[in-house]
Amino acid sequence: MRWSQVWFLIAGVVIVLGTGKVPEADAMKLGVAGPLTGDQGAFGQEIKNGTLIAVEEWNAKGGLLGKKIEIVWGDDQHDPKQAVAVANKFVNEGVVGVIGHFNSSCSIPASTIYHDGKVIQITPASTNPQFTERGLWNVFRACGRDDQQGSVAAAFIVKKLRKSRVAVLHDKTTYGQGLADETVKALERTKVKPVYYGGITQGDKDYRPVLTAVKQKNPEVLFYGGIHPEAILLTKQMRELGMKAAFVSGDGVWQKEYIEIAGKAAEGAFVTFTPDQMKIKEAHGVIRRHKEKFGSDVGAYTVYSYVAANILLDAIAATKSTEGTKIADHIRKTKWNTALGTIQFDKKGDVLVSPYVVWEVRDGKFVELP
Amino acid sequence: MLLQQLINGLTLGSVYALIALGYTMVYGIIELINFAHGEIYMLGAYMGIVTFGLLSTLHLISPDSVVALLLMMVVAMLFCGACGVTMERVAYRPLRGASRLSPLISALGVSIFLQNFVMLAQGPRDKGFPNLFAGGGIDLPGARISAIQIFIMATSVMMMIGLQLLVHRTKIGKAMRATAQDMQMACMVGINVDRVISVTFLVGSILAGVAGILVGMYYGLINFFIGYIAGIKAFTAAVLGGIGKIQGAMLGGLLLGLIESLGAGYISSEYKDVFAFAILIVVLIFRPSGLLGEDISKRV
Repeated sequence: MRWSQVWFLIAGVVIVLGTGKVPEADAMKLGVAGPLTGDQGAFGQEIKNGTLIAVEEWNAKGGLLGKKIEIVWGDDQHDPKQAVAVANKFVNEGVVGVIGHFNSSCSIPASTIYHDGKVIQITPASTNPQFTERGLWNVFRACGRDDQQGSVAAAFIVKKLRKSRVAVLHDKTTYGQGLADETVKALERTKVKPVYYGGITQGDKDYRPVLTAVKQKNPEVLFYGGIHPEAILLTKQMRELGMKAAFVSGDGVWQKEYIEIAGKAAEGAFVTFTPDQMKIKEAHGVIRRHKEKFGSDVGAYTVYSYVAANILLDAIAATKSTEGTKIADHIRKTKWNTALGTIQFDKKGDVLVSPYVVWEVRDGKFVELP
Repeated sequence: MLLQQLINGLTLGSVYALIALGYTMVYGIIELINFAHGEIYMLGAYMGIVTFGLLSTLHLISPDSVVALLLMMVVAMLFCGACGVTMERVAYRPLRGASRLSPLISALGVSIFLQNFVMLAQGPRDKGFPNLFAGGGIDLPGARISAIQIFIMATSVMMMIGLQLLVHRTKIGKAMRATAQDMQMACMVGINVDRVISVTFLVGSILAGVAGILVGMYYGLINFFIGYIAGIKAFTAAVLGGIGKIQGAMLGGLLLGLIESLGAGYISSEYKDVFAFAILIVVLIFRPSGLLGEDISKRV
């Protein structure tokens, strides 16, 4: 054997020993999926941190049904094709349930795979109605729906702001376009027809051309269905072009980066989101632990991810079973006391009460409007 | 509205042109599509932020001053230039003479490495970029040209004139042109081909670094992923103008910016990229080597 071959062998052994984690015998596998890397990696971090805290707490208490819980990570990179691949991998690995995905465009195609594999899926953040509207027994969502969110936004524009010239933009994703369409539907119920409706491309950086076209229509309000990176650019660039219209958007924009980066341009923007989590007593524990463990405040959907993981693990503990249908039945008929207060699910898997409220950016902070 | 869209388009186009120059110069000399070029542009933007951050914490000079801006650009240019040269030395030179696919794969590897390195070093979240020109601008009838737009166009034009002088008036420029025409022959007449290639990467990367700073300020937001899309657009611009041709990259960049801007404004913003690529296809059908590309049969 030549020396180079010996070195090769040694290197191989080192790599195998170094990276190949010996699978823990008989662990409960929990699937957690979202855009863990890629340009939406920040959202993935929310799901990751929330579920990590939940699982650590469970393991500290002795695990689940006498076994340690092990998280299996699935990175879908907010790509529907990746999401399906992740879902197949989860089903094959025999996870007891899945927390995720983040984006509606990923949760929806993945849910069919989980359904066929009889695996429970709880999404902490996907708000598109279609997720639960297709009669699947295995899907739940801990957050609200875009039709509810859209109605709140439309009512706010028409009744509170008293504006009727509304331009609508969306990012062409399942979430963004879905939210924009639900808002348009709700606006049209009050006889307000948008003066402009169009899509933009996620990841682009220059929206001045489309904003210049929107400006021609003299809108009083610009509603945007999408997430914060594009919202930041839209807000900055519309102000730069001299547009005075109010900027209204949804939960995807409720991120501290939006204010940090858009700066002064963000002042006076409105965002629909759930009520202040700091005001919920039960949430204080997880918010504090997040600060201790990660050194930062929770994101919009961190606590939701924590709650979703807890509901799933609780249900498995209570039914003493990992059988999907049994767990689903238990989740559906139980009244859950969670870090977000009491939660109950309806037949479809949506939460019974989802109170969306409007927040305004004031002096560099999101402030909940009464 | 037309005037405003033209301004928007020209600004965007001059940035595309700056990045496209790097693609086209490298292709002109070693016929390699350097997919990692977009990442160099991203590194330039990050170096800008890092410099700005250092200046503000050290309190040496006011971070809002012109000196700070120049310093940011110089640091980014030096850093990106060094990166470009290192990249060529480490990832492409050992593969010279290998099949054409090998350096291409190597380029993709460099691109993935740089993207993930920046993601791990700087975090996946968006970073705000300071706009040192906030607020300023000129109001024209029916349009507004902001100070940053003027600055971008002026800087791009200056860089392009500089490049033209470098290529056509200096000795190294002559050597570059000679190497592009025939590498073997250039070698025989005593041109140090390796050095010429290094200089090409250096110049292309410096231009990309400047583009990174300009775009960072224009959009006010950067992340580790911006190089990907910018790279694809600039590559399109280079092909549109005729890859390998320096004037082609400039023309292609400006055209692409204008098409995107006018398409988004007048027809539909949803299909903005479709117009750009549709024009590219049409041009390639009628002129397979791009707008300014030379006829391949003539060369043979």
